[in-house]
Amino acid sequence: MPAGTGSKTLRISSVGLRGVVGGGLTAAHVIDFASAFGTLIEPGRPLCLGRDPRASGVMMREGVIAALMACGHEVIDLGIASSPIIQHTIRRMGAAGGISITASHNTAEWNALKFFGGRGSYLSTAESNELLDIYHLRKFDYHDWTAVGHLREHAGAVDEYLEELARVFEFDLLRQFRVVVDCCNGTSAPILRRLNERYGFQFILINGRMEGVHFAHDPVISAETIDLQLAPLMLPLKADIGFQFDVDSDRVGIATETGRPVSEEMILPLIADWLLPRGSGDRVITNLSSTRLIEDVAARHNGRVVRVPVGRQAAIDALSNYRKEQIAVAGEGTGAVMMPQFEFVYDGIASMFAILSLLRERGRRLSEILDSYPKYIMRKGEAALTSTGIPDLMAALQAQFSDGRIDMTDGLRVDWVDRWFHVRVSQTEPIVRIICEQKDTDPSSLYEELLETVRRQ
Amino acid sequence: MPRAHLLKIGVSGIRGVVGEFLTPALAAAFGQAFGTYVGGGTVVIGRDTRSTGPMLQHAVQCGLLAAGCEVVDVGVLPTPTIQMYSGATRARGGIAITASHNPPEYNALKLFNQQGLFFNNYERAELIDLWHQSAFEHAPNRAIRTVRQEFAAPKQLHMERVLRHVDVAAIRARRFRVALDAVNGAGSLMTPEFLTERLGCELTAISVDPTKPFPREAEPKPESLTEIAALVRDSGCEIGFALDPDGDRLAVIDETGTVLDNDDVLALAVEAALERLPGDVVVNLTTSSAVDDIAARFGRKVWRTPVGEANVVERIQAVKAAIGGEGSSGGIIFPAVHLCRDSYSGIAMFLGRMAATGLKISELAARLPHYHRRIGKSAYQHGQLSALMQTLEDEFPDAQQDRTDGLKLNWPGRWIHVRSSNTEPVLRYAAESKDMGELDAMWSRVKELLDRSGR
Repeated sequence: MPAGTGSKTLRISSVGLRGVVGGGLTAAHVIDFASAFGTLIEPGRPLCLGRDPRASGVMMREGVIAALMACGHEVIDLGIASSPIIQHTIRRMGAAGGISITASHNTAEWNALKFFGGRGSYLSTAESNELLDIYHLRKFDYHDWTAVGHLREHAGAVDEYLEELARVFEFDLLRQFRVVVDCCNGTSAPILRRLNERYGFQFILINGRMEGVHFAHDPVISAETIDLQLAPLMLPLKADIGFQFDVDSDRVGIATETGRPVSEEMILPLIADWLLPRGSGDRVITNLSSTRLIEDVAARHNGRVVRVPVGRQAAIDALSNYRKEQIAVAGEGTGAVMMPQFEFVYDGIASMFAILSLLRERGRRLSEILDSYPKYIMRKGEAALTSTGIPDLMAALQAQFSDGRIDMTDGLRVDWVDRWFHVRVSQTEPIVRIICEQKDTDPSSLYEELLETVRRQ
Repeated sequence: MPRAHLLKIGVSGIRGVVGEFLTPALAAAFGQAFGTYVGGGTVVIGRDTRSTGPMLQHAVQCGLLAAGCEVVDVGVLPTPTIQMYSGATRARGGIAITASHNPPEYNALKLFNQQGLFFNNYERAELIDLWHQSAFEHAPNRAIRTVRQEFAAPKQLHMERVLRHVDVAAIRARRFRVALDAVNGAGSLMTPEFLTERLGCELTAISVDPTKPFPREAEPKPESLTEIAALVRDSGCEIGFALDPDGDRLAVIDETGTVLDNDDVLALAVEAALERLPGDVVVNLTTSSAVDDIAARFGRKVWRTPVGEANVVERIQAVKAAIGGEGSSGGIIFPAVHLCRDSYSGIAMFLGRMAATGLKISELAARLPHYHRRIGKSAYQHGQLSALMQTLEDEFPDAQQDRTDGLKLNWPGRWIHVRSSNTEPVLRYAAESKDMGELDAMWSRVKELLDRSGR
C-alpha cells in the first residue's frame, strides 16, 4: 500500500490540487490538472511557472510543462521562485497566467498546484469551478505538431521583484534594522540574500538552505513554531525583529526584539496600522474569524473593516467588488496579507517591509507598538462534525446568545462590546471550528460554553 | 488512414499522432511504467528534432521521476548515440523520443535496456503488461531524484568509438569533398562535426538546422533525395550522405548523383567490415543475396533473421557476428561500435574504403555482385497472408521454403519473400534475381497470385 493511503492524502477542489506525492498525488493528477488549466486559458500569451524547493517539484514541473506545451502554450520557467514572484512576473511580462508548484506551509511530503490568471491574480470562484469542470470532463485542448508550445527560462525575476519593492518601500531607511529570518528552507532565502547583497540589508538567515526533503521544522507559521526556532535567537543576536516565512513566502510570522513570539493574528493589524494613513483606500478586508483588533486599528485611522467568509476565495471575490483605490489592505489571521501596491498578491516579503516601515515610522520597538494596542485574548478549537446537526446547532447557539449582534454570513458570528465568537463548519475537514476572543481577559468560560453546546448536537 | 494506426501501443513501444492520440498523459504513464520496469536508477533520455519532442520529453521525464528514477537528459541526438551512451554509462535504461522515418505529425518512444539495446520482445511484453495494469511505482518526496543534463559527452563517446575502427589518418589525408543532407534531424549538428573536425572532409551541407521542420520526406529513399543528389553532382563532391530524422539510417549518393540502393549500401558495409574483422554476417530475410556472395569470398557464414532490428541484433549477439543489418531499411549494425543501426559507422566505413582503395564510391558499388530487385506492398487484409503463402507454395514446389517470417522461396540465384509488416497494416513482398527476365516473370506471377488471393 502506498504511503499515506487511508488517510487524507489527496484533495481536489476549486482551490486546486493538493496531496501527498506518491501517496495520493500522482504524476497523472498533475498532468491532467495542468492540462485542464492549459485548456481553460486561451493560448496566445505565455504562462509563467515556478516551484518551491520540494524534491517532488522537479517531477511536477516536468508534468506541468508537458501539459501546458501540449495545450499550445509558451511556458516561461522561473525555476525555484516564491509564489508572489511568480504572480508579479505574470503581470510584468503580460503573461496570461501561471502556476506555482508549492504546498506552501504543509510538510515536505505534500505538494500542490496553485493557479493564477492574468496580472497574477488568484482565480475567481467561477474560474476555479470551470477549471475543476474541465478536469473532471478530461477533454483537453491538445494541439497538433504545428502548434505545440515552447519552453523558455527567465532568470531575472528576483531582481525585477526587488526593484518593484524598492519603489514602494524606502529601503534606505529600512536597512538599519537588524533582522533575523527563519526561511523554513524555502523560497525566501535567495530573495533575502539578494537584498543583503544588492541593497545592503542585514538579514540574518536561519534554516536558509533550500531543502527538498528535510525541512528543519514544519513550515507552518504559528506562535508555537516561532517560539521554538526564531524567538530564542532574538536577544542573543540583538535583533530588532524576527520574521518567519512559509516555504513559498506568501505569508509571514514575527518575533519581538525581546524574544516573544507574536500571534499570526497580529500581522494584519500591524500592516493596516501602517497602510491606512497612507493609502487612498479606507477599507480593510478580512474574514469573520480574525481578531477584533483590526476594527480598533481601523477606527484610529477612520478606516472601515469589511468582514467576509473564511477562505481565500471569499477574500479574492470580495476584492473584485471594490475599486482598487477603495481598499487599504486585505488579509487573514494566518499572516497572509495582500496590498493594493502589490496588486493584491499575498506576499510575505512585502508584509515584512510594511512592518519594518511601521517600526521606522513610529521610531519604537516592536514590543512597544504591540503593547500600545488593546489586548485581546483568542481561543481557537474544533469539534468533530455530525453534519445533520448543523442547522439545529446554529439555531441553538443563536437562541443561547441572542443578546449579541448576529452575523450569519458564514456559520454564526456573534459580537458583543468586548468579545465575540465565530462557529463554522470547516470547508476542508469534517469538523466544526470554534473561535472566540475577549478583550483583556481569558475567554475560556465562553469557549467552554460554546463547546458544550456544539457537543450536545 | 485507419484510425487504429494513429496510435499504436505494442511490440515497437508506443507511436502515434501527437496531440489527439499521443497525449502527455499517455507519455508520462509510459515513462512511469518504464521507470517502474527498470526498477528506478538512472535513465538516459534524448530526442530527435520533431516539434513535439520537447513536450513529450517533459512528459516522459515526469513519469520517470515519479517512478523514482534519476533522469539524464542528453538533448537532441541521433538514436544510436543515445543508445551507446545509455549502455556505456550503465544506466538502467534509455529512451529516444523519435518516430524515426515517420512523418512529422507522428512521434514515438524507442526503449533501450541496460546494455543500450532495443527492448526485446519479452522485455516489451512485460513493460506493456505493467503499463496495462497501471502497476506503477509512486515515489514519495524523499525518493524523487532530479534531471541532469549531459549534452556533450554522448556524441564524443559515439564519434570516438566509430573512429577506432577506421584509418582516420588515411581518411583525413584525402580531404574528401562530402555532401550531407541531415533532414534538419538529430544528426544536424553532430554529423558536420564528425565529417569536418574528425574526418577532415570538406563539407557541403543542406538541412542541418535542428530548429526547422523536415524539408523532405523523412525516409531517406531515392525519390526524396533529389536535392542532395543534384548537390553532390553539381558541386563536385566525391560522395553524399543523407540521414533520417533520428540519424540511424543512412543513404549514400555516389559522385554522379545516383542514390545507391540500400542493399548495395549494406553490402559495401559488409565488405568493409569483413576486410578488417573476423566473424559472420547477420541480415534479415529480405536483404539481398549480394551479402552471401561477399561473405563467401571471405569464407564467412550469413545468418538470416525475421525482419526487424531487434531480431538482427539478437542474432548478431548470439553468433558474435562481425556485422549485420537490414538491406531494405538502410540500416548498418556494426557491433564493434554498438549493437544498433548506426549511420556514423557507415559513413566512416565508406570513407575508409575509398581512402584504402583509391576508388570512387561508384566504382566500389559497381564491383558488388549484381542482382535485380523488386519490392512492393499492398493493403493488409486479415487472413490474406496465409492463403497467399499456401498458393505460393503450390505454385512453386521446386523452391526451398523458409517460413521464419512470412514465406521466402529460394532458388539458386533468385528468391521471393512475402510477409506482413510489423509497423503498418500492409503486406510486403520482395524478389531478387541475377537475371532480369527471370525476375520479371517471377514478379508478375506473384502479383497475379496476390490479386487473386486478395479477391
